[in-house]
Amino acid sequence: MLSRMPSSEHDLDLATVKVETKTGEFSYACSSDETLLAAGLSAGFSLPYECATGTCGTCHARVMEGTVDPGWAEAPGYRTLRRDKGDVLMCQARPLGDCSLRVKSSVVQPQEPIAQTLERTGRVEVVRRLTKDVVHIEIALSQPMNFVAGQFVTIQHADLIGRRAYSMVNFGRDVERLSFVIKRKPDGKFSEIAFERNLLGADLQVLGPLGRATFRPEEDRDVLCIAGGSGIAGMMSILQHATEVRYFDQHRGHVFFGVRTLSDMFYLEDFAKYLAAADVGLDVTIALSDESEVPAAHPDFERIHLATGMVHDVAARTLTAGQWANAIGYVAGPQPMVDSALKVLITQAGIGPGSIRFDKFS
Amino acid sequence: MSWKQVCNAADVPANTLKKFVTGGVSLVVANYDGTFRALPPVCPHMEEPLEESGVIANCVLTCTKHLWAWNLASLDTLGEAEKPLQSYETKEEDGKVFAFIDKEIVYEFDEDDGDDDDDFFSR
Repeated sequence: MLSRMPSSEHDLDLATVKVETKTGEFSYACSSDETLLAAGLSAGFSLPYECATGTCGTCHARVMEGTVDPGWAEAPGYRTLRRDKGDVLMCQARPLGDCSLRVKSSVVQPQEPIAQTLERTGRVEVVRRLTKDVVHIEIALSQPMNFVAGQFVTIQHADLIGRRAYSMVNFGRDVERLSFVIKRKPDGKFSEIAFERNLLGADLQVLGPLGRATFRPEEDRDVLCIAGGSGIAGMMSILQHATEVRYFDQHRGHVFFGVRTLSDMFYLEDFAKYLAAADVGLDVTIALSDESEVPAAHPDFERIHLATGMVHDVAARTLTAGQWANAIGYVAGPQPMVDSALKVLITQAGIGPGSIRFDKFS
Repeated sequence: MSWKQVCNAADVPANTLKKFVTGGVSLVVANYDGTFRALPPVCPHMEEPLEESGVIANCVLTCTKHLWAWNLASLDTLGEAEKPLQSYETKEEDGKVFAFIDKEIVYEFDEDDGDDDDDFFSR
């Protein structure tokens, strides 16, 4: 079954991609300028992926017939693949004609098709410095996007090889402008452009929405978030959505946000706004790893708790087993922090592995 | 090819995992609420060392790398897990933990050289 019919303009470029999976066979149309992953996800198939940026290797497939351009050959994810067997990363590869693939996963087509393209262009229209090494940027999209709180997109800049994954700070239907937090990373090429050159007005390729670390109010669960640095982005979208539906009138939430020092904190006004709207249902604790002594509450925003230490250690000290049995745990940040936070959620907060959501970007 | 002592029960605190080498075989011993189970030392998903990435709570072993999880009493697969957890027969006697090590349990992984087209789906 072809789930997406060729559009008139690109008929000649459209390849039919057949996919054999653990749960059966299906096919979809893919143009020569789309990746195998993007076209398959657009058609509504739950192809496996995590980072969508060529790093993790989760989206690997074996090309059984036809020719496929593997794309970025130096992608870190290619190092562990059997190129001699025809293995490709679907997030990088594009079809050069009809082809057939094997994907070693269970793949389903959800009842509700995505019904939107994943590939867009966007222009950076806002760049706002939040701290010495964090900026808030907003990208105006060529076509509006529907996405859920907690999702991410990948971004490609014309001057750089490969894509970067960023979680949106906002969420919604028919969203015309995406907001992100970008933290300067040592040797980070995209963050170098954001900090050293002027990103304002830059045209970018935007692919998404992606990711499964989503918040849906109808799930009716408490919310526990542990984030480090720019990992707070997805948590802000969760707080925005929860606040809009007055979620914390009926549920509890606690956001643990880790930064180094008092001068590294950002989005304080936003936290204060969400806390004021939530009354007692929501707590926000900012963990400061490089401070030795801080007041228990922020001097200007008294509803924000402050604590010293690594964010997962602060969460471990604060969380009591049994109190969060009904919660979904969300985690985002640098890899070592994510690993430690997952252990805290399972062992300290008593949250089952099936109730924890995070997207790996590396 | 027999019961071998792996460790003392006191070596593995409740709800933790610890790695041992017994007769040349590497394994981890999981203590779930006072019951012991000897396992191959890596996650069957991507060979992640369970001593580092495994956590135990409520009788459930979770590898935090990708949240694959198993019930340690029944060995049922839970969460994201797509492969069963294999285990040595394990018993505790007089404060000592024994495992029946017939031969070393080794998971097969995707990166193995023998990964040809015929067995593409078998793992």
